[in-house]
Amino acid sequence: MKTIADTWPVVKGDYTVGNPKSRIAVVTLASYINPSPEAALWGSSKTENLGVEKIVANVISNSNVRYVLVCGTESRGHLAGHSLLAIHSNGVDEKRRIIGSQGAIPFIENISEEAVRRFQQQVVLIDRIGLVDSEEILKLVNKYKNKGEAYSDEPMVVCSPKKRRPILEAPTSGDVIISEEFVMDTAAGIVYQAENL
Amino acid sequence: MFKFKKEQEIIKIAGVKLGGQPGELQTLLAGTIFYNKHEIVEDAAKGLFDRAAAEQLVNLQEAGSEETGNPHIVHIFGTTRKSITRYIDFVTEISEAPFLIDSPEGAVRAYAAEYVSEVGLADKAVYNSINMSINDSEIEALALSDIDSSIILGFNAMDSSLQARMELLENGAGLLEEGLLSIADRCGIVNKLIDPSIPYWKRSRRSPQDDHNCKSKMGTPDGLRDTQCALFLELVKSKERKRSFSLQDLRCRLNLPAAGGSR
Repeated sequence: MKTIADTWPVVKGDYTVGNPKSRIAVVTLASYINPSPEAALWGSSKTENLGVEKIVANVISNSNVRYVLVCGTESRGHLAGHSLLAIHSNGVDEKRRIIGSQGAIPFIENISEEAVRRFQQQVVLIDRIGLVDSEEILKLVNKYKNKGEAYSDEPMVVCSPKKRRPILEAPTSGDVIISEEFVMDTAAGIVYQAENL
Repeated sequence: MFKFKKEQEIIKIAGVKLGGQPGELQTLLAGTIFYNKHEIVEDAAKGLFDRAAAEQLVNLQEAGSEETGNPHIVHIFGTTRKSITRYIDFVTEISEAPFLIDSPEGAVRAYAAEYVSEVGLADKAVYNSINMSINDSEIEALALSDIDSSIILGFNAMDSSLQARMELLENGAGLLEEGLLSIADRCGIVNKLIDPSIPYWKRSRRSPQDDHNCKSKMGTPDGLRDTQCALFLELVKSKERKRSFSLQDLRCRLNLPAAGGSR
């Protein structure tokens, strides 16, 4: 069975790729801690929305990852670590707000509820928020890096939920005057001859 | 000639005018100090910092403002009640410029609003920001304060389209019971600075267009974050990501200081 998506990691971020076959990924929240190549992915996460989305997307696209160590200093106000734990425990509500998160703006835009469910099923989160001792973190990585089997399903590559597409209508009036001859419609981003409107 | 058909409001904050039609006033620029991992900060929780280095930075911004004619504002970032008040005290001791109160925590912003009201600095303060995370206690604190200037942030975490960001400002976009502009009115905000929150991670080439569209609809001063430019330049400097950006992206980003700031 294929365990790693072709283009893994599927979204960019502030992380280092280690051994993609490792069972553990490490999230260091607002701290920088020297990465270990023994973890599949190792990086920071400072926001309660995009940061959480990126972790979910990169974890579920690698079925080898079964544990996510959440460590480092929590990001004040955003509460990225707390929000990651909350989405794993509670999921999102109908407004796509992370249930139980106290972060500032804990909304998910770019990943589906199916992806959230997959994240909940695939991995166990190890809550060590506040831990910055790199030796202790390495011990945890070594403990979990080979533990258990890969997740039973193929990697899931997230797709953004369908979004509203902007309705492009023929401009009826330019809202910016460019010259005596031309106007611009800022919604369409098109410049027209004034006499045509 | 580049003129919005909609009348463009000009506001005045502590003697600094901003807004109006393009070219009517010079763009106001806001440099940030005491931001996350700023090297002059020694203890972000306690608000300890290198005072000499901080003064040098504020002076540098003032000198640049005098030289170019662009008005300036000091963007103060703090993460705790103690640090934000120390930073405000310091900046207002050495500069007459207006200042932005910014924190990722609503409780810290609210405390700073109370503080500047108590010490008589509210007329120089710009609240940063009224955004979709605002709650009842923050609204109450801001309404009770003497602050009458605020950035209104259109960031919509559920839908980053311009339409959704404008809806958040106007009617809450289904996420809030009322729009952020209405909340600002309830808080006594007279000087509204709109940040349309143009996402830097996508549609970068649309930034100036979205900015124009927002200003055309609202008729208020609006602005962009410098991350629209600086963050991108960091990405460009990163060799492995170098090829993922088109020349058009780069051109747009580099144009942003001219299109951005508050105007």
